[in-house]
Amino acid sequence: MVLILIRIRLRLWQSLVLFFLLGCWGQKDKSTEVSIVWEGDRATGIIIPSHYLRGSSTDSAKYLLHVHLSGPGDYPAILGDYETFDDDVLFKPLIPLTPGLTYEVRFSGDPIGKIEVPASLSTNASKLVAIYPSQDSLPQNLLKFYFEFSRPMREGQALKHITLLRNNTDTITGAFLDLKPELWNSDYTRLTVWLDPGRIKRDLQPNMRLGAPLDAAAHYSLIVEAGWPDTYGSVVNQSTQKNFYVTNRDSISPGLEGWMIQTPSVNTRDPLLVNFHESLDCVLLKEALFITNSHGERVAGDIELQNEESTLLFRPQEPWLKGSFVLQSEGRLEDLAGNNLNRPFDRDVTADAASAAKEVFTREFQIQ
Amino acid sequence: MKKIYYFLVAGLAAVLLTASTHFNAPISGFDNGTPAIQSISALAFGPDGVLFIGDSKSASVFAIDTKDKAAIEKSAAVDVKNVDQKIAALLGTEAKNITILDIAVNPVSKKIYCAVQNSDNTTVLLTIEGDKVQPVNLKNVSYSTVSISNAPAEDAKDQRGRPLRVWAVSDLAYADGKVFVSGLSNQEFSSTFRSIPFPFVNKQDQSSLEIYHAAHGRYETYAPIKTFTTAQLNGKKYLVASFTCTPLVLFPLDELKAGTHVKGRTVGEFGSGNTPLDIITMKKGDESILLMANSSRPVMRVKYQNLEKYEGSLTDPVTENYATAGVNFVTLPMTNVLHIDKLDDSQVLVLQRKSNGDLDLWSSGDRWF
Repeated sequence: MVLILIRIRLRLWQSLVLFFLLGCWGQKDKSTEVSIVWEGDRATGIIIPSHYLRGSSTDSAKYLLHVHLSGPGDYPAILGDYETFDDDVLFKPLIPLTPGLTYEVRFSGDPIGKIEVPASLSTNASKLVAIYPSQDSLPQNLLKFYFEFSRPMREGQALKHITLLRNNTDTITGAFLDLKPELWNSDYTRLTVWLDPGRIKRDLQPNMRLGAPLDAAAHYSLIVEAGWPDTYGSVVNQSTQKNFYVTNRDSISPGLEGWMIQTPSVNTRDPLLVNFHESLDCVLLKEALFITNSHGERVAGDIELQNEESTLLFRPQEPWLKGSFVLQSEGRLEDLAGNNLNRPFDRDVTADAASAAKEVFTREFQIQ
Repeated sequence: MKKIYYFLVAGLAAVLLTASTHFNAPISGFDNGTPAIQSISALAFGPDGVLFIGDSKSASVFAIDTKDKAAIEKSAAVDVKNVDQKIAALLGTEAKNITILDIAVNPVSKKIYCAVQNSDNTTVLLTIEGDKVQPVNLKNVSYSTVSISNAPAEDAKDQRGRPLRVWAVSDLAYADGKVFVSGLSNQEFSSTFRSIPFPFVNKQDQSSLEIYHAAHGRYETYAPIKTFTTAQLNGKKYLVASFTCTPLVLFPLDELKAGTHVKGRTVGEFGSGNTPLDIITMKKGDESILLMANSSRPVMRVKYQNLEKYEGSLTDPVTENYATAGVNFVTLPMTNVLHIDKLDDSQVLVLQRKSNGDLDLWSSGDRWF
């Protein structure tokens, strides 16, 4: 009964909120000037009031109205669709309008209105949140860096903003691979940048000619310069520097058998702790590792990485039950040098026999 | 008489209707609608004006029936100066805000298709004919799609609700009823390489490809393929692939089957700090040649005849530093070429950043290559 009453009250509140919003909408005056349509932070169209059509119907707008960039020089009509919207004309360009530019509406070639898109709406500049690996000593055959941003970034700009300095003096040219398309995650907030694998792989010509990008026993600085643009027309306004020291080459595959597993107590939600004794790939650790129970079902929980990605904490959603569990890792899990569970990054076939690649590696543990 | 006349007219109409229906017949497996394309990373043409679009964000390949089927033998020469400025003005922005991601020529109509990315990462598809730039309609079209993400059975295992894997589609090509697609992982150091029968069916072959290092018999596995083409050498069809770590490698096409592990034959290494951008095959007289555009090297030319003759594999030590390994290649005096495609049998379409900073789209006859 109480539940029903709560539901009725909720419905009432929802109705009142909706009524209020509709009221606000109804009171809003239609602009008599050219105005911008916003979808979030993006200017996705221009509303052209119907009186600009000088009596012509809105469905003939595409023949009479055209939107151009405003400025010196004769800009062509911008490609897009003209639709009727609330008795006015909505111009939808193929791409959002550009912050900071001014647009001109013309009727049969005559300028009839202008509108400027504000340079940047956002008060928060985009930030470089983290660089991985977070360790400050990295193997000589380090394969990649990850860059994590607070907001989606513009694609194709990375190598203009990343510099590698040796001993604070020499800029290392050609250290990173210029990949197109760049390797972003789906929302453009995390970028993967490879050090040139042709220089890391032993005996390839680039490796023989130029050597590996990093020298052991040297100090380096990875500098991410300010000005890296995001997708909102704003830029990262602060430079970031990551200093690190280069250690010897790592040519050994990580292996589950060498990891230290610290098990929690039964009936608690305490974390399972796995110590890898070396830093592993921070993205793959969250994607390729999981735990199953004795029925083969995946245990739901959250992963946290600590100690510069050399320790993993797994907190289950439900308290641990007594019994046997399996820590599973996909074979694609890599260390910092691209050695995965199946093979080192570049394997000397004269020394090692090839073994069949395994999809998943397992190690059992008990909760008591 | 009147009856016969009506009969004839009706008969003629029926014939014309049948003919036109046949001409615009839907392609097997294609549906009408608006494809959910999230990004455009690579373009390639298939048969009869079918355009393949590689979509990294949704890890899919879309096949669009462009209906652009009016065949012409030879294209007019192309010379669009400051093509980026022209496109930017038509999109209502400035050249610095756009990137031309890929270009592809429809081998039937010789029309140029161009994928352009805005600074907010929105991608649009345009055609370029002479000075005329037009958008390609991708709403209510006849299309088909196929995923290059993990097979559904593999994804079903994942109960954590993670988004689909991103595969940055690095290249697409169509040959002999199959679409070949390479996608680079943004996580582990690997690529997926699929050979997908077209029209799309659920079955697709994913082979693991292995290449040798140039010396000491050492080899690497699963190095990511950046760009590729297909070619016939000594009567046998090959995938000619260029990797992110520079080697040029041949794989017999008939060996690329599901679950197989194929060892390629490395036939060339083309230098450091460079990623290959586009590979195409052209004919010069009776001779087939391979042209490769590079991120930080001039365009390179390799004669297929030399590839055919080059029986070795680069598994012997390269004893001398700075030595050229493998098949002979010629560096053409053409730098900063961002994309190339075959315009017609005797012309190459080139997108080039000129030394004065201009981005020009132009065509060249076989004297150039």
